[in-house]
Amino acid sequence: MRRMSRNRAKIAALNLTSLMDVFTILVFFLLVNSASTEVLETPKQLTLPASVVEEKPRETVVIFVSSTEVTVQGERVALVADILAADGQNVTAIGERLSQVSDTILGLSTRSVANSREVTILADKSVPFNVIKKVMSTCTSRGFERISLAVIQKASETAQG
Amino acid sequence: MTTYLNLMVVLVPFLLITAVFSRITIVELSLPSSAGGADLVEPTFRVEVIVREDVLELGDGKTVIASMPKVDDEYDLQSLSKHVLALKRQNPDSHGASVLLESQIEYDHLIQVMDAVRSTSLPGEKEGEMTSVALFPDISIGDAP
Repeated sequence: MRRMSRNRAKIAALNLTSLMDVFTILVFFLLVNSASTEVLETPKQLTLPASVVEEKPRETVVIFVSSTEVTVQGERVALVADILAADGQNVTAIGERLSQVSDTILGLSTRSVANSREVTILADKSVPFNVIKKVMSTCTSRGFERISLAVIQKASETAQG
Repeated sequence: MTTYLNLMVVLVPFLLITAVFSRITIVELSLPSSAGGADLVEPTFRVEVIVREDVLELGDGKTVIASMPKVDDEYDLQSLSKHVLALKRQNPDSHGASVLLESQIEYDHLIQVMDAVRSTSLPGEKEGEMTSVALFPDISIGDAP
């Protein structure tokens, strides 16, 4: 009987210091984690392919290629089906929007984006290469010659022989 | 102490929700510019991987060295990286490679093949440790002939 009451007393005086320690470390870890600002936002409607590269994205002109449509700097410009059907290597709508981006500079962030002459393409896994190729050749023809492809980082496969 | 604890209890879930765990990285391409004239260099050794509908072909710019048919509807990336590694051992100074795709190949396969050509993981010095080895990191892409 005496032992039971002793146990109960132990539980009642729960030591919170260790819990606070854990929380403090967690908070600092998460704060540092969230402090590294994301340059690119992951769009919900497209799944990027995974790769082992470790290069960080930079501030560039961003082109989204989802399975149905193409978006340049946040503005929808063309449909994937139209690009597939079109002849020739360049997509006029994308090219016009790219020129528009580099001509109309509003604010400092846009200026750095347009002056970088760089394009990051975020494309859905299932997009045929034909579409990607046309988008890329349009970019190079409008003077955006450094092209990067965005991917989701995956851990390098250590199990592979 | 309780106020501090309250603060922590609120902060931890908030930061956990906003934390981003899938990181986006980028693959840089070395593309020839369309305005930049003829890029006429002497025909040197250059790794070429041709991705076709049902087969991967590995060439050195002149001839096809190996062709790897699909296994279970998947490209045989493991034997591709073995062949590429053998090529790298023969030509340690070469860095450029071309990935050539047929037009209907999905974008995902492009990235996977580029990964296989860019680097591979080899057993390290210690037991069970893998080190990543760069093979041909300068990749350009184009149409399959």
